[in-house]
Amino acid sequence: MTMKLKQFKENLLVYGSNVHEWPEDIRQAGLKAMETSSELRTLLAEEERLERVLKTRKYEEPSSDLGERILSASLSRRKRGRRGLSGFFSELVWEFGLPKPALTAFSVSLVLVLILGFAIGFADLTGSVSTEGSQTDLQEFLYYEGEVL
Amino acid sequence: MDKGFSHLDDASLIQNIQQGSHEAFATIVNRHTNRFYRIAYRLVFNKDEAEDMVQEAFLRLWERPQLWNPSRQAKFTTWFYKVVISLCLDLNKKKRPVHLPEDMELLDRHPGQDVLLGIHQEQALLEGFIKQLPARQQLALNLTFYEGLSNQEAADIIGIKVKALQSLIMRAKTTLKEKVRRYLPGGSI
Repeated sequence: MTMKLKQFKENLLVYGSNVHEWPEDIRQAGLKAMETSSELRTLLAEEERLERVLKTRKYEEPSSDLGERILSASLSRRKRGRRGLSGFFSELVWEFGLPKPALTAFSVSLVLVLILGFAIGFADLTGSVSTEGSQTDLQEFLYYEGEVL
Repeated sequence: MDKGFSHLDDASLIQNIQQGSHEAFATIVNRHTNRFYRIAYRLVFNKDEAEDMVQEAFLRLWERPQLWNPSRQAKFTTWFYKVVISLCLDLNKKKRPVHLPEDMELLDRHPGQDVLLGIHQEQALLEGFIKQLPARQQLALNLTFYEGLSNQEAADIIGIKVKALQSLIMRAKTTLKEKVRRYLPGGSI
């Protein structure tokens, strides 16, 4: 398989100047073509020069504490993200470092207690106070107070 | 801090993050911060802004880790490259367009002259050449040449076919080659 000038040029641009690292299916053809053509070797030299120039591109290392800053910011972000009652309890558990199952158990217990409270409240009819009774009690109270005064 | 998670792969870490594990999040931040900073820096050309972009991307991951779905996206890094790149491109849109440094005009009037520019000036020129490339060509060059990603992975990140990516690389390098030949004929780089 022979590689023509145009193909070689394109492969240089796409895969770089190290022909030994080109994809297997074109590597041998590339190496062979280069051996037999001074024109291709000139192209290769041009590509090598471009790559050398590109590698001199300015680069600044990140701050050494970048990771820590991200982690620190993530804690406050999550705090802000939690809203409402469930958010409050999640936050509570989060602050104490409790695992997720503890949060679930706590939430379920809370809901059960609330349901039980409502059930008892609605079921206990004898404990309800009628308006009439309330008025009687009040009158008795006022009358009693009047007696005292 | 992340002893229990450091052996896990990215997909497992994300699953833990989705369940609220901050340690898993710390592991993935420590593992990938430098890699994503590099591409951010190459795109925004500024250290502080690059750090901000990487931080913002990680915070979005922390707040909404369910956005990465392993069954839909091939690799976490491929998806996260897209997140970081998207933030950087948005930032670049808000910036003013790039103009060539004045030095370039001077050189252009005397092609082939033996002008020895300082390394910083040459780097500034090179930055200018790269900034002037269309955004997709810059991306293709950054991902393949500077990040060393395969053509397939770079194409996946940009969301194009491999052939289209190769075309972008060829156009970017051809333009740069011409500018280097023209403006940096005898420089130290």
